Amino acid sequence: MRRFELVLPGSVDDCVKALAQAGPESKLLAGGTDLLPQLKNGLLKPARVIDLSGVPRLRAIEPGNGQGLRVGSAVTARTLELDRAVRAKYLSLAESGALVGSVQVRNLATLGGNLCNAAPSADMAPPLLALDAEAVVTGPKGERRVPIAAFFTGVRKTVLAPDELLVELVLPNPGARSGGSYLRHTPRRELDIAVVGVASQLTLANGVCTKARIALAAVAPIPLRATAAEQALEGQAVTPDRIKRAADLAVEAARPISDQRGSADFRRHLVRVLTRRTLTTALARASA
Amino acid sequence: MASVMKTTRDVKGIGLSILRPDGPDKVTGQVQYVADLNPRGLLHAKLLRSPYAHAKIVRIDVSRARALPGVRAVLTAADIPVLKKKAPTRAHAVLAIDRVVFAGQPVAAVAADELAIAEEALDLIDVQYDVLPVAADPLESMKPGAPPVAELGTEADTSEALAHGSVAGVTTEAKSSKAVNISQQARLQRGDVAKGFAESDVVIENTYRVPMVHQGYLEPHAVLAQWDTAGNLTLWASTQGSFNTRSEVADVLELPENRIKVIPMECGGGFGGKIRALCEPITAVLARATGRPVRYVMTRREELEAGMPAPQVIIKMKTGVKRDGTLMALEAEAILESGAFSGAVLAVAGVFLASLYRWPSFDVQGFEVLTHKPSIAAYRAPVAPQTIFAIDSQMEQIAKAIGVDPVEFRLRHLQREGDKMANNQPWLSNGAVEVLTRLAEHPLWKKRAEWKASSKDGKLRGTGLSLGGWLGGLQPTGATVRLNPDGTLQVLTGQVDIAGTNIALAQIAATAYGVDIDKVKITTGDTDVAPMTGLSAGSKTTYTVGVAVMQAAENARNQTLEIAAKELEASVHDLEIDNDKVVVRGVPDKGITLASIGKKGNLYMSKVEPVLGTSHPAFSVQAPAFCGQLARVEVDPDTGEVTLHNFVVAQDVGKAINPLQIEGQMQGGAVQSLGMALTEALIYDDQARLTNPSLLDYRKLTSADLPSIETIIVEKPAPHGPFGARGVGEPPIVPAPAAIANAIEDATGVRLTHLPLSPERIALAIAAAS
Repeated sequence: MRRFELVLPGSVDDCVKALAQAGPESKLLAGGTDLLPQLKNGLLKPARVIDLSGVPRLRAIEPGNGQGLRVGSAVTARTLELDRAVRAKYLSLAESGALVGSVQVRNLATLGGNLCNAAPSADMAPPLLALDAEAVVTGPKGERRVPIAAFFTGVRKTVLAPDELLVELVLPNPGARSGGSYLRHTPRRELDIAVVGVASQLTLANGVCTKARIALAAVAPIPLRATAAEQALEGQAVTPDRIKRAADLAVEAARPISDQRGSADFRRHLVRVLTRRTLTTALARASA
Repeated sequence: MASVMKTTRDVKGIGLSILRPDGPDKVTGQVQYVADLNPRGLLHAKLLRSPYAHAKIVRIDVSRARALPGVRAVLTAADIPVLKKKAPTRAHAVLAIDRVVFAGQPVAAVAADELAIAEEALDLIDVQYDVLPVAADPLESMKPGAPPVAELGTEADTSEALAHGSVAGVTTEAKSSKAVNISQQARLQRGDVAKGFAESDVVIENTYRVPMVHQGYLEPHAVLAQWDTAGNLTLWASTQGSFNTRSEVADVLELPENRIKVIPMECGGGFGGKIRALCEPITAVLARATGRPVRYVMTRREELEAGMPAPQVIIKMKTGVKRDGTLMALEAEAILESGAFSGAVLAVAGVFLASLYRWPSFDVQGFEVLTHKPSIAAYRAPVAPQTIFAIDSQMEQIAKAIGVDPVEFRLRHLQREGDKMANNQPWLSNGAVEVLTRLAEHPLWKKRAEWKASSKDGKLRGTGLSLGGWLGGLQPTGATVRLNPDGTLQVLTGQVDIAGTNIALAQIAATAYGVDIDKVKITTGDTDVAPMTGLSAGSKTTYTVGVAVMQAAENARNQTLEIAAKELEASVHDLEIDNDKVVVRGVPDKGITLASIGKKGNLYMSKVEPVLGTSHPAFSVQAPAFCGQLARVEVDPDTGEVTLHNFVVAQDVGKAINPLQIEGQMQGGAVQSLGMALTEALIYDDQARLTNPSLLDYRKLTSADLPSIETIIVEKPAPHGPFGARGVGEPPIVPAPAAIANAIEDATGVRLTHLPLSPERIALAIAAAS
């Protein structure tokens, strides 16, 4: 690992100032589970590292407007996995937190790190897409809100300017008759990266689906929604046949590549399987 | 050597499950590994490695790196006159000369005050490459016209096969054709294969593939080198054989062996990957250039990109049998991809393919093929898991095709003691039949139909087993046993303990001498002081060093009794050792303590010789050891995920010197075998660059993937082993790939022939079949 300057801000304002001074040669350190291996292997050589561990606001989980939830960007995967407020209404997000790495990794890895690294396989992105979350971003020009669907711009690229910081995620209340699920496939049970990840969220009223969200990871440069599959369910009673149809439509939304983690064919196959399974679970949870 | 010791009472020695005394220090992080050594003036080494698999080095400019403050040396091949262009082994290719032949090959070396400075210096070295065409696929590389890997005229390296001992009667030869990358070939034939196939009712053909896999030791390669002013080199090394390391470094650097002292440090795993020298020569050169101690510790990424993995093995196999199950003919072609340098155990592959079962006719050809990838080395029973995967998968399919019980079919055709192996050597005493029989009696095997029928929730259940083994290595060795002035014993060998063997050796000394294990201390000495000894490899430490220790302890015991006989004025034949005393049999109050005999050996003006038992045997009789494994699995046919519900390992160990340590070997070997079966592969792109250089994407199994592994120890004594013991380290890595493939077929009906048996392969095969 190269030598670098370490900055330890104590507040969000300090962070913004540190970013403004540091310039493009700086990196933010939250849990470090992605950053440190890149530093150690010489893939990144920042002159300055800004450590976020001393900023309490980034670790907060607080009620939002309209009974929604605000989740700080440095909340760990382990907290997402276990937090009651998250589990109560945003189970798919808790499930994505529970799947990351191992317990040791989850105690360090953060929501913001997972999103800002912007790997196509980021586990926490599909649940947030399916939950219509918004990212709260701050910088020298003040705060702005970005729908999570617009947050990712490419492989390891986001809308964040070099001097901006992801502060928190705002999750709207999905309502009483809503249920979600996140599943991913990995060859190994722990310590692995999604070959494909799928999050589904279904909201029901009078036996009819009023809102469907299906979001996919690791099948395109950015996490994406399978909107045609969603539309095939909305306004309908959700039956096994319609779930099957939606799973087929989700496959069409996927634009996978072949790499060392899986072929494009296998990824398309998994989108079908995991969409079917997450929709089935989401339906059961929404109906419960 | 075959004699069984008569002890005068049951001492606490062999047969007991005794914890390793080094265990607590290891699990609490107290043990010092090479990376923990921190001598005054220490410098840190880093190597600049080629990003290209095949390229001409046009120019290297190190001037900017040398100017960086804190940098003490920057070396290229031009700075090391002993290096030769036709490097016969990887160890000799210390730094690339003019051409790089795999991605990750060292091109320049840096020693600096801090590791971070050494890393910065690497960025300041300017290398201009001319990229050349790459031989990335062994099947392409073995064709005429492929881009050449070795320098013309470089000789094949068969020393790995010799180190693992194991096969006589197979001649391997360098091929002299236009196929420049075929570095060795061998052929084993018997009978009329064409006639055999013509008379066969059922002919099955398959191509089996096992990718390159990494040994995955916890501690990466590491060495610390220091020279004294008289020109003597000391190496603190993580090695499986300090004497071998000394010889290789002496050869590469053209030094007399007695000018090099190798101190074997605690070795955090080797599994064959730490037999050959790798980073020792360059570290020694850096230490000489700087006049300072220099330490080099490879990173995990370097290990995966530029270690010495196991070869990729591709086996085309065709078998013919009669409808009644009579074996008729076997034809096989085995291609071993050995990367940029020769060194695969080609002969072992050939022997394994045609020796396990009684094929009346066979024709087995083997080719070692070079490619532009890191060169390979041994990995725990080198090429046995790969070849057994092929032959055992094939046996299972034949049994299925003709509708007979797969265990009975194997037992019917399994070679027995005295039968001729493919190289015409006779099979020696072994427990293959006993192991397979024990496995077949296991309730999990007997209830396999019930397990299959209990499939639910869309998952598919199945059971599979496999049998494999290892022929057992041999190498000369030595040991001394001293009696201390307080009556305790001091055992000295040069044998590196990579597997808990020292506790077993101490148990052997205790029983052979006649004292309890707590009176025995065993030390692994450095190459200046220890008796010369072989590698900790080939499943031969207990089998060979155990004999040396046993004989040295017997020798020390005899010396002790002779001294006591004089002191007690009794005949040696009337004496026995009981409770740390030499006593006259039947006269319990007439005796002399071991402590007083020990004291007399170290008293001023004493005329009693100190007790020093020695033994330095060589060996000629191997002890084959077999292992059977049984897997009960559940397959998710949609995702291809395999859940391992149960796994059983049955193994013939001859005599269990320390059952607890042996069970650890059986379980550890099984886990590595299951990793090869299910998840592990070094994956290269078409430019022969590794695409998964981290433990995230190079998937060793974790505890979350594994059930508790049941062990069954079978004891069929080895006629020449110490107290009947056989080697135990290698057999348990052999059978799992075939056992899992057989279980998956039982569950899903799909037969897979390429490892790893990944979810993708399974799911897509099931989807294609349905």
